[in-house]
Amino acid sequence: MTLRRLLSRYTGFSGMAAKEFLAYNIWFWMNLFTSAVAMTIFVFFWKAIYAQADQIAGLGFQQTLNYVLLAQVIAGVGESGILWTFGYQLREGRIALELLRPLDFQGMLYAFSVGNWLTGLLSRTPLLLLALLYGLQPPADPLAYACFAVSFFLGASVMFFFEWMLGCFAFYTTEVWGLGVTLFAIQLFFSGTLIPLDMMPEGLRLFAQILPFHQIVYTPVSFLAGITPVSQAPQVFLGQVAWIVGLAVASRWVFSRAVRAVTVQGG
Amino acid sequence: MARYASLYGLFLLQRFKVLLEYRLNFLIGASSTVFVQAAGIATLWVVMRQVPSLNGWSFDELLLVYGLLTASRSIEHMFADNLWTIGRQYIRSGGFDRFLVRPIDPLFHLLADRFNHDGIGNFVIGTLLVVSAWASLGIPLLPLYVLYAVLAVLSGGAIFIALNLLTATTAFWIVESVPVTRAVHEMHEFAKYPLSMYHKGIQAALTWLIPYGFASFYPASYLLGRDVGWLVWAGPAVALVLLLVAYRFWLFGLRHYSGTGS
Repeated sequence: MTLRRLLSRYTGFSGMAAKEFLAYNIWFWMNLFTSAVAMTIFVFFWKAIYAQADQIAGLGFQQTLNYVLLAQVIAGVGESGILWTFGYQLREGRIALELLRPLDFQGMLYAFSVGNWLTGLLSRTPLLLLALLYGLQPPADPLAYACFAVSFFLGASVMFFFEWMLGCFAFYTTEVWGLGVTLFAIQLFFSGTLIPLDMMPEGLRLFAQILPFHQIVYTPVSFLAGITPVSQAPQVFLGQVAWIVGLAVASRWVFSRAVRAVTVQGG
Repeated sequence: MARYASLYGLFLLQRFKVLLEYRLNFLIGASSTVFVQAAGIATLWVVMRQVPSLNGWSFDELLLVYGLLTASRSIEHMFADNLWTIGRQYIRSGGFDRFLVRPIDPLFHLLADRFNHDGIGNFVIGTLLVVSAWASLGIPLLPLYVLYAVLAVLSGGAIFIALNLLTATTAFWIVESVPVTRAVHEMHEFAKYPLSMYHKGIQAALTWLIPYGFASFYPASYLLGRDVGWLVWAGPAVALVLLLVAYRFWLFGLRHYSGTGS
């Protein structure tokens, strides 16, 4: 089989993500609205906070505002929802069908996630406009945007493989709801969706940087907000690639073990 | 009234029997909301370490606001969660028709059908926040204050339920009402912080239009001796009016209900 044909089989799944997204219009607007509410609250919140201090953890008001607005724009986009996918497929017994396809199961879901990230980013354009209205000052340096794009893509990939490993719990517990909600809360805090990691006390900040969650929000956004200088990009990317390689290998191994447990579930 | 009270007891008993069949899920569900609240509180803590106050409110005072709102929300979460799923679970499937042929009020039946244990976590967190903020702020433990706080949480809960009832009633026309409910419900996020930090328009909206302010900001202001005028006493009245309006709208929607044919 030619590489091109092989690739097109996977990109078909990426395209499916876009179609699925378009099918749920009212949900899209609702999500946009809730993000707009969060953004509005943050703007007033940080204005009130910076009425008390010129700088917090070395960040001025404009820098923090840039960060918080951008974090809100892309919040959630880099998640793959693998845990929920596994939970759903196990519950419905669909996983058996999925595993029968003549495609790599992980590759298939990865392609689907890539499509999700792209449509996700595009769909946030209205939020970006709102952020600009709220005083977001985007950087002038085109390199900052490139660094954002690369580190977002790499970071989302890191989280894909990380979630894949966690998702394997579903094969044993069959119930993912509690784990999913817990993961959501941990991610909300440690990804830097709510605050730039710089503001956390030393120990907590280190802990947050050991965890992979910051890779889908803090790492890419801090390039755009001028917190991480572009000159550090090679170092950041290298670290992300190392994460991906390590987690990709580990996740495949964990999955190959966990999938043996699936037989007890059935359909 | 007494009949409905004892009926609700029976519904609740059945529900707990079901829940205790799946003990682990019960525990996970009941504690899941704790994690989400913890993320919000941890963020507040991180930021408030850096500055003395937010718009003149200390960290403990903010926790009181946050706690009152969370406790109010938990009332709706525990006792009226079915309003979220009426379209998906009952109307689309035709299951709602079952309520219409029974000799009890359909709204009562809908609400009593499922007590949601997930709200217990919110209730515990909210209560703990209020109690600990109360203690560290040195608010005197007078019967009047305690009674006021309990009434404030109950009115707050009623406001949450009334707003969800208003929006859930749209399910009679559009079936899937969750996006509508969610959009209005989301406005409660504003009330997690003192309303005084917002633009006047937002303050007015959270007081007169979508009055979540009565679930947190106004009662907290009263307990802390902050002068925000007579509005600190308006909570129960606002809750009552809103419940009546919502119930009228529900009855109106019910008359227009024709089923999905499924």
